[in-house]
Amino acid sequence: MTATALSRAARNPRSPGERFGKHVLFICAALSAVLGAAVIVVVALETFRFFGQVSPARFFGGLTWAPLAEEPGFGVLPLMAGTAQIAAGATFLALPVGLLTAVFLRYYAGGRTASILNAVVTLLAFVPAVVYGYFALNYVTPAIRSVWPGVEGFNGISACLVVGLMILPTIVLLSREALGAVPNSLLEEGVALGATRRRVLVRLVVPAAAIGIAGSVVMAAARAVGETMIVTLAAGNPTGPTWNPVEGVRTLTTFLAQASLGDIPTGSIEYGACFAVAAVLFLLTCGMHAAGGALMARGQRGKPGAVRS
Amino acid sequence: MSESRGARAGVAIRGPIGAMGVAAALVTMAALILLAGVLLVEAREVLDWRFFLNPPSRVAAEGGVGPALAGSLWLTLIVAAIAVPLGVGTAVYLAEYAPPTRLVKAVESVLTNLAGVPSVVYGIAGLALFVRGLGLGPSILAGALTLTALTVPLVVVNCRKALQAVPDEFRWAAFGLGASRWQVVRDQVLPAAAPDIVAGCCAALLRAVGAAAPLLMLGAVSFTTFAPGSPHDPLTALPTQIFAWAARPQEGFLALAAGASVALLLLMAAMHLVLFANRRRRKGTLT
Repeated sequence: MTATALSRAARNPRSPGERFGKHVLFICAALSAVLGAAVIVVVALETFRFFGQVSPARFFGGLTWAPLAEEPGFGVLPLMAGTAQIAAGATFLALPVGLLTAVFLRYYAGGRTASILNAVVTLLAFVPAVVYGYFALNYVTPAIRSVWPGVEGFNGISACLVVGLMILPTIVLLSREALGAVPNSLLEEGVALGATRRRVLVRLVVPAAAIGIAGSVVMAAARAVGETMIVTLAAGNPTGPTWNPVEGVRTLTTFLAQASLGDIPTGSIEYGACFAVAAVLFLLTCGMHAAGGALMARGQRGKPGAVRS
Repeated sequence: MSESRGARAGVAIRGPIGAMGVAAALVTMAALILLAGVLLVEAREVLDWRFFLNPPSRVAAEGGVGPALAGSLWLTLIVAAIAVPLGVGTAVYLAEYAPPTRLVKAVESVLTNLAGVPSVVYGIAGLALFVRGLGLGPSILAGALTLTALTVPLVVVNCRKALQAVPDEFRWAAFGLGASRWQVVRDQVLPAAAPDIVAGCCAALLRAVGAAAPLLMLGAVSFTTFAPGSPHDPLTALPTQIFAWAARPQEGFLALAAGASVALLLLMAAMHLVLFANRRRRKGTLT
């Protein structure tokens, strides 16, 4: 486009393109906002209706979760404990492998190796959760049981392992981003001072990226909290609260998945309970996502380029 | 990228950290190879052309993913048709047009946070909004709208990143020549960000196609004898079909679940080709 055409168009703010830009894009943004708001509002409204029937004190303070029992219990704590168990276990397993893979990718792998490993991690990130769940139930669980026969068919160990595998790419990719914020000069200076590479990495580089790495872990844990299909398939849904990872685990998400398999009448107390559980899940993951994002942003402050003058 | 080659070149993989790094990388790779191997070995007996056309059956050996595949194709097309323009438009508006008011900031932060909400929450919201609220029932359309609600925030977040990566100098230079805002967006910002926008949309759509939990919440069926021919037909899709088969202990259904997983991954790979074609083009141009 020539400069004259540009300036001619600029003089005419009512040209069709200008109007298209402003109005159509605005409508897109408004529709997206409405769609997002609708999701939040409907969950909030049904949750408030549920709290009309079951007091929040009973919901957050109760110790039994049995919405269909004759004396129904609506205490969400057992479900949250199950969720915490799976998320903590998965994160605990994924963190060392993920962080080491990220360090390897950033500081050791050469061009070809790095690109292959990168492709593998990206592929793992795209595998659908239900495929992981199938893998967990039909292969990981039998493998665990062949070594440790005391483990039940539905168990938390298998779920933790495979959820850990699912969140591994999150930890690798985000931790690598956090390590990328550490200036290379740090490594070079450390080595120049005579420290071994291992010492520099362990004592200087990883601590310098610690905040960003913590952010990546929180983000990964948030994904584990919301994971539904793997946990439902691998850990089943026993009725009682369990603390033993050898047995099945009941989480916020498995309750929702299990409830959906039966037909829940609109307006029933169980229908409301689903929304209340979804609201807890929503707030929990939103909070973790925001915290993880904030940590990662803080970790990017020392990024080379921002420092270099 | 400011990764210095110097920090890497010449340093062989030595020392305990290097060894542990290699081990971790091998674990990661082994996991993928194991997963792919198990799926292919398990699915080898069922994978033929009939499997992709037949409906599910009580007899495992006759079952197929015809309806589920058709359902997933419907969902992909509808979600792509709605979520991509909506999400990209929203991202462009927020990044290039929106005044920095409190409302705009609120919308931005809501969409960012929604991108981190688990898919099952969208399922329960979709159940109330579309299946029961709009009276669509557990139909393909209700599923597509629910997946759209899930995909739009992801598209917005990914595209915002793509737009932010375009240096402001591009905009200033064009404004300096007298270009209008729309001309700046259309001729400078969008072409520069296009590869990342396509990649971001593709990633969001892949997430939607693989999502089982929200469709399960809506009441997806996994035992339908006919392929959905319109958006009002009963909701059926590959991920929920996998779920239904994966949990069946009878002999034969394991192979079907593996076969359906392969079908889903093939569908995703076909979508991914868009991304790779796009990557190759990017290498030839800027950066």
